[in-house]
Amino acid sequence: MVKSRLFFSQQLTHRPAWLLMLVLILGVWAAATMGAVTITWSDWLAILQGDDEPLSGGAYVLWHLRLPRILFAVMIGAALALSGALTQGLFRNPLADPGLLGVTSGAACAAALTIVLLAGSGIEVPVALRYWLLPAAAFAGAVAVCFILDSVARWLTADSIAGLLLTGIALNALAAAVIGLCTYLATDEQLRSLTFWTLGSLAGANWALTTALLVALILAFWALRRLTHTMNALALGEAAAAHVGVNVRALRVRVIMLVAVLCGFAVAWCGMIGFIGLVAPHIVRLLVGPDQRRLAPLAMLVGAILLLLADTAARTVAIPAEIPVGIFTALLGAPFFLILLARMRRGS
Amino acid sequence: MLTLDDLEKTVKPLPRRHFLTQLGAMMTTIALPQLALANESGKKVARRIVSVGGGLTEIIYALGAEKELVGVDTTSLYPQAATKLPSVGYARALSSEGILALSPTLVLASEDAGPPTVLRQIGTAGVPVTVLSANDRFEGVVERIQRVGALIDRSAQASQLENQLKQDWQRARAPIIARKTPAPRVLFILSHSPGQVMVGGKGSSADAMIAYVGARNAIEGFEGFKPLTPEAVIAAQPDIILLTEQGMSVVGGVDGVLKLPGLAQTTAGQKRRVVALEAMFMLGFGPRLPQAVSALDQVLTKAMQG
Amino acid sequence: MSHSHTSATELLLFNQVTVALGKRQFGPFTLSIQPGEQVAILGPSGAGKSTLLKLLARELTPASGQAQFEQRSLHDWSLAELSRRRAILPQSHEVAFGLPVDLVIGLGRVARTYDPQLSSIVQQAAEQACAAHLLGRRFDTLSGGEKARVQMARVFAQLWDVEQGLLLVDEPLAALDPGLQFSLMEAIYTFASKRGHAILAILHDINQALQGFERLIFIKHGAMVGDYQTPHVTLPLLEALYEVRLASAVTDTGEVIVAPSLKQKISA
Repeated sequence: MVKSRLFFSQQLTHRPAWLLMLVLILGVWAAATMGAVTITWSDWLAILQGDDEPLSGGAYVLWHLRLPRILFAVMIGAALALSGALTQGLFRNPLADPGLLGVTSGAACAAALTIVLLAGSGIEVPVALRYWLLPAAAFAGAVAVCFILDSVARWLTADSIAGLLLTGIALNALAAAVIGLCTYLATDEQLRSLTFWTLGSLAGANWALTTALLVALILAFWALRRLTHTMNALALGEAAAAHVGVNVRALRVRVIMLVAVLCGFAVAWCGMIGFIGLVAPHIVRLLVGPDQRRLAPLAMLVGAILLLLADTAARTVAIPAEIPVGIFTALLGAPFFLILLARMRRGS
Repeated sequence: MLTLDDLEKTVKPLPRRHFLTQLGAMMTTIALPQLALANESGKKVARRIVSVGGGLTEIIYALGAEKELVGVDTTSLYPQAATKLPSVGYARALSSEGILALSPTLVLASEDAGPPTVLRQIGTAGVPVTVLSANDRFEGVVERIQRVGALIDRSAQASQLENQLKQDWQRARAPIIARKTPAPRVLFILSHSPGQVMVGGKGSSADAMIAYVGARNAIEGFEGFKPLTPEAVIAAQPDIILLTEQGMSVVGGVDGVLKLPGLAQTTAGQKRRVVALEAMFMLGFGPRLPQAVSALDQVLTKAMQG
Repeated sequence: MSHSHTSATELLLFNQVTVALGKRQFGPFTLSIQPGEQVAILGPSGAGKSTLLKLLARELTPASGQAQFEQRSLHDWSLAELSRRRAILPQSHEVAFGLPVDLVIGLGRVARTYDPQLSSIVQQAAEQACAAHLLGRRFDTLSGGEKARVQMARVFAQLWDVEQGLLLVDEPLAALDPGLQFSLMEAIYTFASKRGHAILAILHDINQALQGFERLIFIKHGAMVGDYQTPHVTLPLLEALYEVRLASAVTDTGEVIVAPSLKQKISA
């Protein structure tokens, strides 16, 4: 697939990519200068010098809180947008979203179950583990949903994508019911922990997470290189994709696992952040068309910009308070979604 | 239990410079490295407190430490002056940078405060975060006053306040304990939005208040707050319906309350015995607890007589 | 591998192949296709023509019997390998997302890992399918006939640099006007004969089958009921296949035209 590999790297150097890249870099710069604590040039210098002196004041906030959070927002936005682009390509449906598959609610469901059941069973969890327990559960939930999704859909309806979609809807309903049950059973204290998963927040960002996500994104990007062109063939329909030599089943498993990893990571550390996965691929489709080889990397850029925008607004609109980021992604996303539906109606 | 009890205890600041003590100066002037060094050398800096929780804010005011208060959350509505302070927002969605920008030397938080990662970040940045347990009883209030007093070097004022509080408590409770009339059954309704109506079961803050005024909680079947169901309400046979003022206005006054499913069929509904008190006053479990008990007792007694 | 009753040069060999779809049984199908052969599959609607095509295309797995392609069991082929030896022109032409026409045509060659000729082949395939003027447009803005041409160009691109492959065609032209049908069918013949590709086409049009194909396979009630060289096909055989009375006429140039007679339907 040398040709498509060439193509893939070529696309990034095309004009929209450069433009978006520039917007993103400016956005990161602007976001770094905005916030409750005033950052001065000497703070930047203190970071850049990198001596052994512990950082203080604005430099501490910049290095330990603001920069990791900004980069985290950028990468979570890219991850959400990529999983959205992949899901839409897989289902040949521009309205598909990882939420539709049940991946997001599967992750939240696992977290809710962990909160309520573990507390109910009275098992003492060491403090050191508690920090990791919920994210690990959410991640496991996302992967488990994908696994169930794939095996059930394959067993029920052979290789049909409609079957997969319907299974996703059923799993979504199931997860929603379990979350509802957990909410009912939860004590007030447990409810507080549950709230986090529904609100969505990037407040948990730190350098360790940012690095982990960067590695995950680089791996995803590498896997993508081979997937995107064969995903274009899916647009012909499953049968025709097989006729031109695409192993649809293997492709589906790979795409689903990729979506699970990206979504699991995002939900595990940031709760449920909606609309990015839906909106970013659409903006790119309007910009450069539906070719997955261009769509996937550009959607990552757009998703990064959108979430950075939303999170910066969430951080700075009500200083020193913070507004849930989900409100801003919905404010950006919902009107766009409606315009999209209107366009589709006019188009048909 | 799972995620928050590691926060019950004070989050220990790392052995790091207490740089944030100068942030206030930095906000107004230009950051000068010399200031940070001056603090290192042990210069006494004015205490700056961020209080997350209306009850805690009231305690701080009652201890006369309001000058040290630099930020409060959205539930800190009393005294009126507290609402003029910078708001750090909704207690469950705090911002680490926002709070650090107020350059606090101490963050006092109720159990509602979160998300946990934000509290951890603030602690790691060198600002001690103390989460005070939400024991919604009179003893809990006394304990919180003692702890806050110790934390802000006002133990003497705290003891004074404690004595005053205990006297007020005796005065408020004595007539209730002496009373021989049968205890009315009270149904407490909590509503944040018209579609979200909950009733207070055993162990809830409302349950404690109802017990303190010598009444009986009409709901005995479950713990905490649970969604209202018409049959459970009718089975509870309440004599009086109690709400917060905020909740009352959300559902649309007394008439709105009586339109909630099942309520019209109860004794309380038929006799229009619906009363309300301001939420933080009634359920804040701060220094105004004795007054709140007296006030609640009054409105309930008046409702039963009327 | 079984070579029992056939020579080793078959392109495609089916021996007693059956398949079950739900409660319905199809087959047994026994047939062989030689390289370069042009075979039409005829039969009434719902008789199982498309099912046979799906078996040939490896979309369905046989429940019993042997299916071989180039002396190898059809199931031992990887999809990518197979895609370099045979192509399928589908019945429906829809493509999701409105991909550009060039990309759709290029997708015929998606399984090739190294494909330096891609853009020139896309161009030539489009020209061969009378679709060169559509390059650069979005697929979802095309008319039905234009979509058919682009899909055909995609199939041409898939087997462009292949010899003696197999082209499976599933009633692709049924909805098009006669002129377009004719020119597209011509394009398929030209493309296939130049490279020695065999054509296996499901057709509705009896005349097209009689005039353009050297061999006809009859399908009825889920099974093969006939396999004839075209000159041996008689009017009664066709009447029995479709259960309709047919009339035939010979044109000035000697072509035989068959059409339903306006008389009563014959009894089965």
